[in-house]
Amino acid sequence: MKDYNVIGHSVRRLDAVEKATGTAGFTSDMKLPGMLYGKVLRSPHAHARILSIDTSEAENLPGVKAVATYKNTPRELFNTSATMTFTVPPLKPVLDQYIFDNVVRYVGDEVAAVAAASEKIAEAALKLIKVEYELLPAVFDPLEAMTPEAPVIHESHKKNIPGGEVIQIPYGDAEKGFAESDLVIEKSFKVPVQKQAQMETQAAVAQVGLDGKITVWSTTQTPHPTKMILAKIFSVPESKVRVLNPPYIGGGFGVRIGLSAKAEPIAVALSMLSKRPVKVVYTRKEDFIASDTRHAGYVTVKLGAKKDGAFHGFYVKAILNGGAYCSFSCETPGVLGCMALAVYRIPNQLYYGHSVYTNTTPSGAMRGFGNPQAMYPIESVVDMMAEQLGMDPLELRLKNIMQVGDPWALPYKCSSTGLAECIEKGARSIGWEKRGKLNQPGAKKLRGIGVGVGTHCSNAWPWCGDYSNAYITVQQDGSIHLATGVPDMGTGTSTSLPQLAAEVMGVRLDQVSITFADTQSTPFDIGSHASRTLYAAGTAVVAATRDARRQVLEYAGDLLKVPPERLELQNSVIYIAGQAVGDDCAGSGVCQVGESERKSISLKELAYTAHLRNKQFIGIGRIVPENAPPWHAHFAEVEVDTELCQVRVIKIAAVHDVGKAINPMIVEGQIEGGVLMGIGYALSEEIKYDEKGKQLQDSFHKYMLATADDAPEIDIMIVESNDPTGPFGAKGVGETGLVPTAAAIANAVYDATGIRFTEIPLNEERVYQALKEISK
Amino acid sequence: MLQDYLFPETIDEAISFLKSSTGQARIIAGGTDLLLDIPDGKVKTGSLIDITRIPELRKITMENGVICIGAAVTHNQVANSELIQEKAAALAHAASCVGSYQIRNSGTVIGNVCNAQPAADTAVALVALGAMAEIAADGGKEYVAVEKMYAGVGKSTIDSASQLVTMVRFPAAQKNQGTAFVRLEQRKALALPMLNVAAWVSLEDDRFQWARISMAPVGPGPVRALSAEQILKGAEVKADIIEKAAQAALEQANPRNSALRGSREYRTSVLPVLVRRALEQAVANARCKCN
Amino acid sequence: MSDKTLKFTLNGEPMEIAVSPSDMLVDVLRDRLELIGTKKGCGKGECGACTVIMDGEAVNSCLVPAMKAMGATVETIEGIGSPEKFHPVQETFMDLGAIQCGFCTPGMIMSSKALLDKTTSPTSKEIKKVLAGNICRCTGYVKIEEAVLAAAEKMREKQ
Repeated sequence: MKDYNVIGHSVRRLDAVEKATGTAGFTSDMKLPGMLYGKVLRSPHAHARILSIDTSEAENLPGVKAVATYKNTPRELFNTSATMTFTVPPLKPVLDQYIFDNVVRYVGDEVAAVAAASEKIAEAALKLIKVEYELLPAVFDPLEAMTPEAPVIHESHKKNIPGGEVIQIPYGDAEKGFAESDLVIEKSFKVPVQKQAQMETQAAVAQVGLDGKITVWSTTQTPHPTKMILAKIFSVPESKVRVLNPPYIGGGFGVRIGLSAKAEPIAVALSMLSKRPVKVVYTRKEDFIASDTRHAGYVTVKLGAKKDGAFHGFYVKAILNGGAYCSFSCETPGVLGCMALAVYRIPNQLYYGHSVYTNTTPSGAMRGFGNPQAMYPIESVVDMMAEQLGMDPLELRLKNIMQVGDPWALPYKCSSTGLAECIEKGARSIGWEKRGKLNQPGAKKLRGIGVGVGTHCSNAWPWCGDYSNAYITVQQDGSIHLATGVPDMGTGTSTSLPQLAAEVMGVRLDQVSITFADTQSTPFDIGSHASRTLYAAGTAVVAATRDARRQVLEYAGDLLKVPPERLELQNSVIYIAGQAVGDDCAGSGVCQVGESERKSISLKELAYTAHLRNKQFIGIGRIVPENAPPWHAHFAEVEVDTELCQVRVIKIAAVHDVGKAINPMIVEGQIEGGVLMGIGYALSEEIKYDEKGKQLQDSFHKYMLATADDAPEIDIMIVESNDPTGPFGAKGVGETGLVPTAAAIANAVYDATGIRFTEIPLNEERVYQALKEISK
Repeated sequence: MLQDYLFPETIDEAISFLKSSTGQARIIAGGTDLLLDIPDGKVKTGSLIDITRIPELRKITMENGVICIGAAVTHNQVANSELIQEKAAALAHAASCVGSYQIRNSGTVIGNVCNAQPAADTAVALVALGAMAEIAADGGKEYVAVEKMYAGVGKSTIDSASQLVTMVRFPAAQKNQGTAFVRLEQRKALALPMLNVAAWVSLEDDRFQWARISMAPVGPGPVRALSAEQILKGAEVKADIIEKAAQAALEQANPRNSALRGSREYRTSVLPVLVRRALEQAVANARCKCN
Repeated sequence: MSDKTLKFTLNGEPMEIAVSPSDMLVDVLRDRLELIGTKKGCGKGECGACTVIMDGEAVNSCLVPAMKAMGATVETIEGIGSPEKFHPVQETFMDLGAIQCGFCTPGMIMSSKALLDKTTSPTSKEIKKVLAGNICRCTGYVKIEEAVLAAAEKMREKQ
């Protein structure tokens, strides 16, 4: 295993000091001269037509500078999610949102907005806006919304299927596969609405100059695509729009790939109307009810196997609740299907899936993007198959998981996998051999152990357009500046990308600085989503740095009169390979005739020499990434209190093949956070809607995510399979932490209780009902 | 918009502020509930009278076997008090469960009682401990059992615009007595209880002399499990008797269907488990001479 | 609405500022004094992002009326350390990867400091109980707990 200078080390994050001292800049902290505060009026109804809006009283309230409704804002269709900027033909992006419409389609839908001198005044003004609604029938369940009698939510999609898009992925002949199988198991599952609940709510500050130039600071995960969306909405050239993070984002987990809900366009609209900068910060309740959730839905899995355990036929169907607006509802079923078909080597597979409009909060991207929804059902069925075949669940998986080079339904190769090693290490950590021996007869608290495995992607190609650009400039003192369009929403890109640059260039990390997430000063990058930032933007950074390094060595070769191929650059010094730095090479046989005696030069001196000769080294990286599968195996030990009907996780062993950990501490941290989110998905996080379409769990108090006191023992292990396509072998990590967690927990609960749950989260109510059933 | 924020230095001054404000001012202690209720419009008031600087109200004392907790005493002060841990373990435990560390540093035990939520953890413990509240007003002082301070769900009998609860008092557990508090919760902090139960038992050799059991939210305020208490009176300390009493607790319990915190059916099913566990822990508490 | 003069000690320095009885401490700190290190995650005392230390106790400043700080000692993230001399818990948070997006970090550090001011030998259980009022969605709390234990060790060594 090669030892690197900078990468592979758990160096302190470059933003650590700012964040540990409270000086890190976030959108919600911003203040500009003359800035106004924007507040949004939201629909109390799940589905209604707006018959009239009277904003006159609100406009006359002292301190109010602008009121926006559908009447005085652009009537341009868009999609808050970035799909409208990277959907590749023949697919068409579904554009079904206006800033404000004259129809509201879910409780929380935007109706109007006010910009005023203070938040208090803006809130008071909202109360003065008079809206007359005509209530329309509403539907909340996707299966119901597909029936002919269901209310139509968007006129352009009369069957309530966003874009009319139904995903079918055939691979081999699934029917034949089942016919040839010795054993076929089919089961249907229901998965819930989960919420990103990132710590900084959706926020934007917009400033529209008198010259028409639009500047927006916001919490977006994708500044460049967001710039494109805003340019379209407001019909201005993209070159007149600047979008940036200031420079940090308080988390994302998918909730702001593209716009931060409607924060940016509302802030821009209010800024245009008031001719002042306007700040819009969502309250926590608004963040819950009016920004994208995870897709809930119904997933059916059918698995056929030969009696020796070889999987032979596979069918997965997913009907997802898209909510009131499309957002990522076309992509999510696609990714769900692809990931479902990519874990096991099965010659005959079929996936069928789509989303359905309902009058609930729009579903969009949330960490995992369909993969957690796929793996809980799939891994449950795999365990069922193991039981019926009389095989150990690990043995069955090891027999069928993808190997390098195996064919599959995806258009890129399975270029690396360390999943077998992940399974082996995780099994040891959890004590897999204890399974079946954990409980005394008559025990009221039952323990169980379970496993779940999965994969993911390392960027969004081929589901969407995906590319990255970066440039490196060598500063006049030999330090390096890196410009990349990706943000850092906590994933550590503002540290790991400089680590890549430092390693490739041959300088210390403290010689590298980075500008990121500003469309004005960085080249286009899709942004942070699809676990792509290190893999794709990192590849661009490596390419840019190699380009700059090549130029540096060429220039040095010229100066030192040595062919550049013989030169090394390490620790900011250029020297002849094999020769100690600083040595005079006279008589050593290393110098060639006619070469200068000086055989090394510091990067600092070289850069300044070049500068005085009117030159700067600028490296450019422009790449289209390949794609590569990360792999993960989670093992869970749980305890089920059968008297109180509560499931508690004792330990999760999470083993992840990440290709190469560029910064192991950051990688572990990302996985640890993902695991806790996965535990929440399995046991306690759920948003339900009441009969009027109102969210029941619309605050931190009601939404049961884990606190520090709820976190169990989490053992993370990293496996490095060194993928040939990723920077230094790295693959995607960000979303992987919660892909198989719920699966492992549900399988552990089965081991403990013999109950196969087909619905999560396994909260008290569900466990109670199930225990009641079996006691009959 | 609040008009004024006052810091009386004595109980009399606080009462005098209340009187002169003629209902336009009200008492604030920690404020962790009140400061949510005011913007929500659930409470309307012109001014706040902050009683947390009044010295007598900041104390936890014991005299003649009776413990007094002042109105400005916070949950964490109660949870961390060695006296309370020793002599009223149920209350120390209950106070340690409220909200979060930060909320426990601001919020007060008596404020928790006056907020009148049915399952306020410290109120449930106080009812099991037979606590009495001292209430000061312009006309003088009166004493009301905490159990009787509930006018309805979320409605205290206390009018904080004219009355000040100054302290609660209850007997310290004696050597042959034990207390316990159990809580059924969806997570370990920042969560209201699905159910909570407090128990105070008095033992003589292998028998219960008596027991007091308080449970919530199964009624407008904490509810005494009187049938269960009756079964235990004079009974042997045996598993089957404790189980019988635990089941009997259902007779006084009327949990609602909550979309957030448990169906009626589920809570009815698990309440006896909690009562049983509370009794077992109270017995263990008595027997280990921890009190 | 009459303005009152709030006098208190802020990060070791005397502070005097006109406030309204309706003002919350978090807004006075962030908007009036422009100390934006203290964050607002929910405004309802449900997430701990606004945690400050008042008279030695960690509290949610979004639920503290500004007037309650009269005569009190208030510490915010801005006051506990700087590059010249970080607080040990800032050091360990930075060194052990306890920071990701950084939004919960100031509140998390203040709660940790409040605990460490009371004991330099906290158990894991105590740490979890104290930090349970600070929600973090990024870290899973794992490295945060490690950082508090490591800070405690540093502080014990100094004693």
